[in-house]
Amino acid sequence: MSDLERALVALGGELDVPDAPDLAPRVLARIAPRPRRELRRLGLAAALVLLAALAATLAIPDARSALLRALHVGGATVELVDELPEVRADAALEPKLGLAVSLEEARAGAGFDVRTPEEEPDRVYVDNRGTVWLLYGSPERVRLLVAQTPRHTIDQALFAKKLAASGTRVEPVDVGGAAGLYLSGQPHFLVLLDELGDPVEDSARLARNVLLWDEGGVAYRLEGRFDRDRALELAASMR
Amino acid sequence: MYQHVAYRTAYLLTGSAADAEDAAQSAFVKAWRALPRFRSGAPFRPWLLRIVANEAANRRRGSGRLAALRLRAAAAVPSGDAAPSPEGEALAGLRREELLAAVNRLGERDREIVACRFFLGLSEAETAHVLDVRRGTVKSRTARALARLREEVLE
Repeated sequence: MSDLERALVALGGELDVPDAPDLAPRVLARIAPRPRRELRRLGLAAALVLLAALAATLAIPDARSALLRALHVGGATVELVDELPEVRADAALEPKLGLAVSLEEARAGAGFDVRTPEEEPDRVYVDNRGTVWLLYGSPERVRLLVAQTPRHTIDQALFAKKLAASGTRVEPVDVGGAAGLYLSGQPHFLVLLDELGDPVEDSARLARNVLLWDEGGVAYRLEGRFDRDRALELAASMR
Repeated sequence: MYQHVAYRTAYLLTGSAADAEDAAQSAFVKAWRALPRFRSGAPFRPWLLRIVANEAANRRRGSGRLAALRLRAAAAVPSGDAAPSPEGEALAGLRREELLAAVNRLGERDREIVACRFFLGLSEAETAHVLDVRRGTVKSRTARALARLREEVLE
């Protein structure tokens, strides 16, 4: 690099660049779907479900704050929206999950305690965000998919939030003392949008029921064909 | 994180806070809509910055001018403590101002290249992607912009 190039690099650090304004509110306002009447009704139904859940939990002391916490599972907010952004339905699940590794390798490299429910997974993957994926069954026929994400990777993201379609039922649940959410109902219902980028953790592929919770700085997600009680049982079995 | 780099890029490519905010905001909205076309696993930053650069170019064309970049007040007026000597620091300050004035006199394409390569620290490959040109074009434009600056500042 020449002196001139070095001087230009130094100059770059001394330029008067105003602080970035918070773009998020206006961007989010612009990308929010304009509800059509039909969709608005669906949204209303979902709001009623949430209200019912809220009413039920309000009877318990501190339940309201528990619910609010529950809605921020894994550093991401779950929002019900009328339309999910289009996510390319990818028939090949496996490449999206990351690098195939052994459970031991995942444990050694994860930087947090990787937990497994009941039995050992059939396949294990680690993606470039540090999420460890445990797959039960085969990529073609997934019985259960468990994602464990060190939380900081989600927290740092600008637009990290989970979007659930308005037909999705969202229930606050207690996962061994940690606040969690059980999502069921609408297929194709959940997308994690990370800094407006790679929709890594989208469940558009599987469209199963999901249990989310957040414990010890790790965001957990179980996804599979289970009901709420079975999901909680699986969560409780995780060691 | 991306908000910051998107805004900085837009600002350096337009020189205007209002245009930069507008361009960065539109870029995020367009990026959002273009997400399904984003190849999973591809580097996200150049992909986003290409949309930002495009939006910035639209704003520049809209306003018909490229606003001049300025030095931070703290950079233009050196603080006493760390300065090796007041004269040396003043001379260095003068050089910086001269250099910046020369950058501001560059044509749009040359300044774009200087902003990407040196102010934003993008690699040649990233710059090529962001400005949607070939890597060879980045090389030749960089050489041309540097030659022009050298001519103006070092003569």
